Amino acid sequence: MTMYWVIAYFLVLLLALLYKTPIVRGPWLFLLRSFFPNWKFFHAVGYVPHLYARAGKINGDGQLAWSDWLHLYPRRPQSFWHLFHNTPTNLGLAQQNLIDHFWADLNDSPEGFDPRQLVTYKMISHFVDVKLAEAYPECSHKQFELRMLLDNPNQTTHTHVMMTSPAEARL
Amino acid sequence: MSLDWFEPFTLSTPLAIRAMECLFALSAGIQTLEYLRMRPAMNAQGLWSWAIQRQDIPNALAQKFFDGLFAESIFTLLLWARLAALLSLVLFGANLGNVTFLFVSNLFVLIRWRGAFNGGSDFMTLVVLTGLLISQWVGFFENSELGWRACFWYITIQSMTSYFVSGAVKLLRPEWRNGSAMTIFLNAAIHGPLHAGHALRKPWLSTIGSWTFILWECAAPLALFDTRLAVVFCCIAAIFHFLVFWFFGLNRFFWAWVASFPAIVWCAGQINILAS
Repeated sequence: MTMYWVIAYFLVLLLALLYKTPIVRGPWLFLLRSFFPNWKFFHAVGYVPHLYARAGKINGDGQLAWSDWLHLYPRRPQSFWHLFHNTPTNLGLAQQNLIDHFWADLNDSPEGFDPRQLVTYKMISHFVDVKLAEAYPECSHKQFELRMLLDNPNQTTHTHVMMTSPAEARL
Repeated sequence: MSLDWFEPFTLSTPLAIRAMECLFALSAGIQTLEYLRMRPAMNAQGLWSWAIQRQDIPNALAQKFFDGLFAESIFTLLLWARLAALLSLVLFGANLGNVTFLFVSNLFVLIRWRGAFNGGSDFMTLVVLTGLLISQWVGFFENSELGWRACFWYITIQSMTSYFVSGAVKLLRPEWRNGSAMTIFLNAAIHGPLHAGHALRKPWLSTIGSWTFILWECAAPLALFDTRLAVVFCCIAAIFHFLVFWFFGLNRFFWAWVASFPAIVWCAGQINILAS
């Protein structure tokens, strides 16, 4: 009898995969989303959000001179010992998750919405501040962009800019 | 337990409980030590500054509560208390006090990281912890045997679901069936991109690799029909999770899923008993 229950359970799962249900949202549901696991890992290939930032400095003519765009994407070396302790890599992964959430928030926002109200925008802006201060300690301004990159197995085939922040004085 | 491969066997309940308690303590201990090392990223200068994140909390009273709890010194104390509770789990086994504390503090830690730190491993950690919580509370109100039975089945169903769903969604995607998705994800991974001559850039190899993982994940429920199959399944799963760690840096996934293996082997044994 137990065997039939197990088979029935996986048939229900299969049906659940094929049948689309409406998405329920809410701030507490978001914070407690670990109770509703989503086991769809690495399933869809498509545009991936990448964060770029640049630093600005007022030059002798009183104009803002911008640095090149800095690609803020986490890359770390491999090590077997990271199986037991992997703080920098996990922080890098969390950083990229935050950028994914920022993209999702922008995507869900209504037309004309000011993204600066988003918590994810504020976190990204703060992150850019910290990163630019490391790379360009004397810069006075910052700007960042969320670009969507589409890759094939060999290269990036298409890029578009989803959002460019206004040029702002660094805090 | 004797591992006679020609005779069906079962994993004894006390051994399954002990294995799960120790593996879970190891998994959650690794996570907690990492959180302790991450404190600089959580202060006012770090990416995860609570001064900004607190705006995620929709209720003023809750915001005030979390302001206090996530103050650096209190949060550090919470993490050390978690380590102490995990040590008690290893030394004295699960009880109502240590498991309930671990569950509640785990929720607080997740809220500090906006609901999840790195997704899947948080889900599976919470699954095993919920199983442990079920075992203790059902044991408290009913009986211990029923509690552990419910715990193991809850964890096994969730763990098997994770493999099955993960495989099935890939099977539905053409880019996984032709192998290109694997190379694209590996290039985008934290340890990527693959170097120009890497074997997994060869389409035929990535196609074989993709199909191997898809079929293996989709076949996961079959492991429940024989304990020996379940043991083999768990060994392959450990290799799979190690590869995911090696290429994607997801060390927490490895330990979080390994902690669910005793439950899978125990449940397969119960099905053997019922079938015979």
